[in-house]
Amino acid sequence: MAKSVAEVKSLLKQYGNLRAVDDISFELLEGEVFAFLGPNGAGKTTTVEILECIRPLTSGSARVFGYDVTKRDDVKEIKKRIGVLPQDFSALDKLSVKENIDLIGGMYQKKLDTIEVIKLLDLEDKAKERFENLSGGLKQRVGVAAALVNDPQLVFLDEPTTGLDPKARREVWHVIENLKKLDKTVFLTTHYMEEAQLLADRIGVINKGKIVAIGSPQDLISQYGGLKTLIIRKGGKKLAQTLQERYGSTTLNHNGDVLMKADDVNEMWRALSTLTTLNLDKEIEIQTPTIEDVFLKVVGGRITEEGELK
Amino acid sequence: MIRPLVIFLAVTKNWIRSRSGLFFSIMFPVLLLIVFGAIFGGGGGGGASTLFVQNLDRNSDGTATQLSSAFVEALNSTKTFAIRDVPVDVDPKVWARDKLGPLGGNIRIVIVSEGFERDVINGTLKVKVGISYNLLNTTYQYFAPDLNETEKMAYEQGLAQMRQYNETLPYSRTSLTLAFDASDQSAAIIKNIVMNVANAFNYGLIGATNVIEFKEESVVSKSYGAVDYYVPGLIAAFIMTNGIIALTSITTEFKRRGIIKRLSITPLTKFDWIIGNILSQTLLSLMLTAIMIVVGWIVFKVQAIPDALSIILIFLGSVMFSGLGMVLGGLVKDVEAASALGNAIAFPMMFLSGTYFPMEFMPSYLQSVARVLPLTYFSEGLRYALIYKYTEGVFTNMAVVSALAVAFIIIGSVATRWKEK
Repeated sequence: MAKSVAEVKSLLKQYGNLRAVDDISFELLEGEVFAFLGPNGAGKTTTVEILECIRPLTSGSARVFGYDVTKRDDVKEIKKRIGVLPQDFSALDKLSVKENIDLIGGMYQKKLDTIEVIKLLDLEDKAKERFENLSGGLKQRVGVAAALVNDPQLVFLDEPTTGLDPKARREVWHVIENLKKLDKTVFLTTHYMEEAQLLADRIGVINKGKIVAIGSPQDLISQYGGLKTLIIRKGGKKLAQTLQERYGSTTLNHNGDVLMKADDVNEMWRALSTLTTLNLDKEIEIQTPTIEDVFLKVVGGRITEEGELK
Repeated sequence: MIRPLVIFLAVTKNWIRSRSGLFFSIMFPVLLLIVFGAIFGGGGGGGASTLFVQNLDRNSDGTATQLSSAFVEALNSTKTFAIRDVPVDVDPKVWARDKLGPLGGNIRIVIVSEGFERDVINGTLKVKVGISYNLLNTTYQYFAPDLNETEKMAYEQGLAQMRQYNETLPYSRTSLTLAFDASDQSAAIIKNIVMNVANAFNYGLIGATNVIEFKEESVVSKSYGAVDYYVPGLIAAFIMTNGIIALTSITTEFKRRGIIKRLSITPLTKFDWIIGNILSQTLLSLMLTAIMIVVGWIVFKVQAIPDALSIILIFLGSVMFSGLGMVLGGLVKDVEAASALGNAIAFPMMFLSGTYFPMEFMPSYLQSVARVLPLTYFSEGLRYALIYKYTEGVFTNMAVVSALAVAFIIIGSVATRWKEK
């Protein structure tokens, strides 16, 4: 069992009558990528910023490396050991990539060589470029570099790919995968299902300040994702009837595709063998449930590109 | 102690590389200095102000009478005015406005009335006879006890005749008319000069000499021009605007873009951040001062000499105004509000603190307002330090500036938010 890096117990953050974070408990394990998945306003950033010691909590407890985020002396110890890419990261426009990383590095007594960090993020060509001239994806990479400059054990990435184009998003994903190789513990927040599923070892689905589901993507999918679907393209009405009679759970969609829901793969193989018997040459596809299905199940909605729940 | 230096280097670099920042913090003040100096400093321009003179005292052949010409010549000899003759047959006000043009500035007219020479001669004669009578009368009263009756009678008869003669002389005085625009701020000065000339003329006519000699001595050891007044004022005013407007906008922009938040996650403390910014502003202020003095010296021969005391004062002034900028930056959320608030404070302060014109020109209630404005003490102190070398005055102002600097830093530290809510 991996060591716990951070521990949150019954955490509550209240603004007037609004409970931005409503009695949540979870822990971060050493070396894992933990993703907080939820729509805008779910309480992701609030939780992260409490752990970063820049937002006070209302009640409950939050400890990072065993240090209490509410204690002044502990905060100093936490700040030394964490790296942060804040939401909407920005830096000094007129300074170069290297100068901006140096600026953040200058705040720490123990830090990595800036050039080393620049290499790590593949930013050598851009080291002398001013921050204002960089693309969105490159700016995020500078943000990650700045987050790594103090060689932290725990890295917070708050919505690292929001607002980026698909190509830049993939670049950032690649960076996060590399962090994992460096044995960093990563706390990622996102509203992109694909991102959470692809990168996270464990996902906490958060909505309206509450964690509604938590676990590895596989566990969540098997628990909440529902059945796999066998799709036989243009299978036709007759085939649909046959499969329905033999195995049940079969429907025909408006394209003439036959859809058969099944719990396990064996059942699907049997259905496919029926196709062989009937000597049918059809295109087939097996659709497995995704985190999106999990989210739909546990939250009861989908998240738009902009992060809103609908 | 290294963190404030890292912040100082970063924000200074960021500022120096920003063209608009550089323009408003350095170039704009320099341009303003040149404009002000050119307008008020008389940098090679004409200098003497125009004085229109309409001499209505003419001989029968139309030439000016001897005495009226002498009076106009006396005005001319002051070298204060460029005298322009107004023809006798025109309305002098209309004529002068016409000649000066709509932007020609203030109209000042002296009208020498008709009969000036005659009245001056008559008046002078009456005064002279009167003086002689008084002198003889006093002498007679003194010696009377030693005189016999015949001698007494002869004297008294003579005196009576003299008195009678004086009474027959017309009691005439002549007048000069001075016409000014109501808004003319220099009217009083010009009136004094004209009156002095007239008095000198009066004394000369009756043969009097000055008993009281008026020695003129400046309160400062050298003579100073208007630009000498503006250089320290403008330096002080722009250190103020750099602190209140520029720094407030910069910190609000840093806040809006999350740069302050990013830094607050590191071990950097709020105090380190404030010190770093203040150091950066101080460097900017010293650069501004150096450039202003060099430009002032090259273009206008300004006599400002920065010494250790003025550098200390500039440092303290920068700390004071960047502290105030930190207070304002901590209070407002967005950049627009920051710049509006900064301007709302900076501009009235700039005009009320004796930066552009001496406070003595203002009504007394505004002078009382000026006495509570930080810039008043800073610009006055800087003027004493850079130009007048009046050390005692520097120390008084420096004390006020230091106290406010400490106060603003403390309030600024409280106002700057280093944590989210």
